[in-house]
Amino acid sequence: MAHLTRSFEIKARDFSRAGEVSIEVQGILKTIGFEADCVRRASICAYESEMNVVMHGGDGELSLTVDPENILLEVEDHGPGIENIELALQEGYSTATIQYREMGFGAGMGLPNIKKNADFFEIHSQKGQGVHLKVGFKVDGDNG
Amino acid sequence: MGIMAKPLKEKKSPGYVEIDEDQCTGCVLCMKACPTKAIRVKDGRVARIEGVCIDCGECVRTCTKGAIKAASPKRDGFTASSDLVISPSTVLYSQFGEDYLPNDILLGLKKMGFGYVHDQSYTSEMCNFAVELFIKENRKKPDSPFPLISPACPVVVRLISYRFPSLLKHIPPLATPREIVDREAKKRLSAKYGCSPKEIGVLHITPCPALADFAKESVSQERYPRKDKAVGINSIYETLKKNIQEIDDDRVLHHSSGIGIGWGMSGGEIAGMKRNCLAVSGLHETIRYLEKIEMGLLQEVDYIECRICAEGCLGGPFTVADKYQARHLLQKLVLMFGVERRIKYKYVIKLYKDGWFFTERDRTAFKDVASPLSISDRIERLNRVEETLRSLPGKECGVCGSPDCRAFAEDVVDGKTTLKDCIFFHNQKGKIASRAGR
Repeated sequence: MAHLTRSFEIKARDFSRAGEVSIEVQGILKTIGFEADCVRRASICAYESEMNVVMHGGDGELSLTVDPENILLEVEDHGPGIENIELALQEGYSTATIQYREMGFGAGMGLPNIKKNADFFEIHSQKGQGVHLKVGFKVDGDNG
Repeated sequence: MGIMAKPLKEKKSPGYVEIDEDQCTGCVLCMKACPTKAIRVKDGRVARIEGVCIDCGECVRTCTKGAIKAASPKRDGFTASSDLVISPSTVLYSQFGEDYLPNDILLGLKKMGFGYVHDQSYTSEMCNFAVELFIKENRKKPDSPFPLISPACPVVVRLISYRFPSLLKHIPPLATPREIVDREAKKRLSAKYGCSPKEIGVLHITPCPALADFAKESVSQERYPRKDKAVGINSIYETLKKNIQEIDDDRVLHHSSGIGIGWGMSGGEIAGMKRNCLAVSGLHETIRYLEKIEMGLLQEVDYIECRICAEGCLGGPFTVADKYQARHLLQKLVLMFGVERRIKYKYVIKLYKDGWFFTERDRTAFKDVASPLSISDRIERLNRVEETLRSLPGKECGVCGSPDCRAFAEDVVDGKTTLKDCIFFHNQKGKIASRAGR
């Protein structure tokens, strides 16, 4: 089956370029011509996970794999990891610094928002070992 | 990001953009400026529009040779007659300097021989309040898309349906002031003459070439049947100015406050709205915001006024006055006429409940009919594009005749051109080190 894989580096704390990876992911999905709603949900997840890496993660990598039926985003970072994943998945729970909150980030909606928009969601993390996030979307194949 | 140039379904480009082949030197400026990457300059000759043109006018603004023009509908398309309704854009009030107030300008139009001159500013004020009502009603519903995006700029609507189709549902089903003026004038006059509304012609006086092409205004249904026309402000300017100077009439045709008068400037549509609103103007800024909205940002904002022209409709290609001077004049008028809407609130609320402000909108995205590729073919195509892109130098020079290396790679893969057209590739016989991408 036809498939495509791309990976992108995400630099920690580089706010001047934050969001560019997601825009590129969005562009690829649109060029392929996936259904609009699916592109929207995948872009939201790409953006939220990219921002998580920029803010908390240390450097990381986002990789995109698509085939006619699936979109898969994998995001890995080398940051401090998440101590309590259950807590991190609660809306409004945030470990963002005051500085980030003043920039308009860190409302504690990132992970919950990703989970809400994805069809498949898996997260692994341990303190000190970074975060490994897998998010998937089912697409309607060749109907579009 | 890679955007394929796609021909419009049933709607044939180009619209108002005219390229003068004698003036065109085959440079790359317009090609690089085009947001849909629709222009190609093959064989170094002249620019040609090959993909989807959304009428943004960016190529017109960019061309330094005067080779690309916004074609105004010809004036001989109408004559001043007593049974034609005139619907002047509120931008007209900013074009004649401080000595003439909106009412003088409307009287000037009367003097030109037009029977019905319908001021848009008062309707704009009603629409301004209707948007507030719509926001209030829809904020209560859990699944309403926010921010709402203003339907007023036709190019923004086309840009969304072409590049951001998932945002089509953010455009509320509210009619724009010009659409309401159309509808009401037709209704009133057809009742008066006992004819069908379709028999009543409306002439729009507009700063906007994209509006002048009714066939392309995919946003409105029932509007603009064959009788309706549009003409650029610039093409009636001199005649109108002479008539304004000679007015001998003291009727009152203008009724709005400053809110309605300032509607055409950037921020004018949202002025006076007691909600969380934003005004964005300019092509690139608009694209940047649409990208953000598509990624789920800005949901706390209620309403975004996006305008393709910098400074809003005051920057429209058919205006005469400088946009910053026009803005300054409008700001003065806004202060002079006040920022309290002069509408009857209870009456507008009743109209809103009766559906007066609503209209059906075409929510379909532009479909790609020229390349009926399946998703899996498109994935293969994109892989080949990426592979080709890696063999290119990444100079983004445009000498090949495609707007950037990615578009060139796409053109090569689609068989529209060959790698030989890349001068770097050619000179070094393909031995360019791979420096494409990041």
